[in-house]
Amino acid sequence: MLDLDLVVLHMEAETSNEIIQNLGALMLSKGYVKDSYIEAVLERERNLPTGLPIGDFCVAIPHTDSGHVNQSNIAITTLKKPSVFHSMVSPEEKLNVEVVFLLAVKDPNLQIQLLKNLMSVFQNKELLIKVRDASSKEEISELLSCLDQ
Amino acid sequence: MRKFNVLSVCGSGTVTSSMIAEKLKEAMEERGIKITATEAKPTEALQLSEGGNYDFITHTSPLPKGNYPVPTIDAVGFLTGFGEDEFLEEVMRVIEEIESKS
Repeated sequence: MLDLDLVVLHMEAETSNEIIQNLGALMLSKGYVKDSYIEAVLERERNLPTGLPIGDFCVAIPHTDSGHVNQSNIAITTLKKPSVFHSMVSPEEKLNVEVVFLLAVKDPNLQIQLLKNLMSVFQNKELLIKVRDASSKEEISELLSCLDQ
Repeated sequence: MRKFNVLSVCGSGTVTSSMIAEKLKEAMEERGIKITATEAKPTEALQLSEGGNYDFITHTSPLPKGNYPVPTIDAVGFLTGFGEDEFLEEVMRVIEEIESKS
């Protein structure tokens, strides 16, 4: 199941950077990522943003090179209010993101199943809306049980 | 079996390019087409495609401007599921074009 220490409900954050820093700090405190990870994710997000429009519902999947990662994991937060991330498709476009998945991927070849499961989550808008509206971490973990490996 | 080599490009060369590659393999297998995919970053795409080993490029991050020697296909719709059919149609169109030339 998801590491509940990496799940945050209704985060209060002013910017996408703040969200990445907060979630990244959780990853770092558990040793899943290296010290360089957060800065690398922020840098990547500036150049190649990760906002994804799932129909009219938007998520973001910030991540970076596997060299900054010790162990694959996912940190998830819902937000007190939507936060602006730029679009992966057209970086100049701003999206109001409601759920953020911070990804740490060590070796994509070994994580194919996880990546496929994640992709099926992104493609399920109803599920994402339930995640957004969840009232406990356990509920989020339950909703995303398909990510279990 | 018909075989094609795809260069799958995303920002980090790992996460979404692997997702696209895997899903494309499955979708094409149903159509009797074998896809072999290599993941890459946008900055590597032009040089790799000039090497002549790839039939077409799929990308989730914008590609740097350049004269790509093979067709390039935006794959974000395939990632999110919104625009999946259009993506697969485009892939089939490109594949049929390649086959008609060979």
